[in-house]
Amino acid sequence: MLKLAPQFAEASDPATGIGAFNINLKSFIFQLITFVIVLLVFKRWVLPPLLKTLEDRRQTLENSLTQAQETQEALARAEAKAEEILARARVQADEALAEAKKSGEAVVASAETAAEQRAALIIKEAEARLMSERTKLHQELKAELADLVANATETILRQKLDEKTDRKLIEQSLREIA
Amino acid sequence: MSQRLSRRSLARYAADQLLGGSSAKSVARHLAAALITSHSQKAASLLLDDINYELQSRGHLASATVTSAYPLSTSLKKEVTSLVKKLAQVRQVVLAEQIDKTVIGGVRIQTAEGTWDKTVSAELSRLKENI
Repeated sequence: MLKLAPQFAEASDPATGIGAFNINLKSFIFQLITFVIVLLVFKRWVLPPLLKTLEDRRQTLENSLTQAQETQEALARAEAKAEEILARARVQADEALAEAKKSGEAVVASAETAAEQRAALIIKEAEARLMSERTKLHQELKAELADLVANATETILRQKLDEKTDRKLIEQSLREIA
Repeated sequence: MSQRLSRRSLARYAADQLLGGSSAKSVARHLAAALITSHSQKAASLLLDDINYELQSRGHLASATVTSAYPLSTSLKKEVTSLVKKLAQVRQVVLAEQIDKTVIGGVRIQTAEGTWDKTVSAELSRLKENI
């Protein structure tokens, strides 16, 4: 130190060396020592927690970013899945609609066929009933006509057929029988 | 031991007896006994029909019932008798005349083997059926 002093003393010559910068050497050394101490203190006690804090912060941010990315991916996957489900649901709904339409058409066609058959049956029955009624009426009319003719004939014959005519009738009948 | 005879057998027996010369009274007595024994008194009328049938089928006698609206003249009766002889192919005919105004006119001849109905009422019935 003592050996250096003359050098610094030499250097502190205001005209040459460091003295040319107009620096106080003592003050400079003191400040340098202080700086070194502060640096050591900073390095020993301040910097590690600070670095740790920064590292933690960085880690947290990284984790957050990773999570955000994962979340985004999950969201994308969920959206894709939802889209797929929706598409499938649409297809199923379309199929169900088509099936329902087809089934409805079949039911309507079946109902129409049944109605047509029923109508044809009713018409046929009505025709048969009409025919039966007509036949019955025809037969009744014929029976009444037969009664009428027979009664009229009987009445006339009772009036006109005397014993003489009857004898002729009997003779004719006997010839027919023979 | 009594054996129950059928009506047909009795009729054959009666026809045999009558055609064999037995008196009608005697045959009638035997038949009455047979009917009483077999408790078949109600069948007497049917038995007479059977006897008529037997006599007619053997060509001996035909009983004919003639129904008309007016009494038949003698000539008509003769015609009917000869007709029945021809139809039934028998030697004798016994006519039973019946007057029935409901027949209106014509004649109906009934024998044991058949009926020939030529009355006006029968013709009217046939006319009704045909119509």
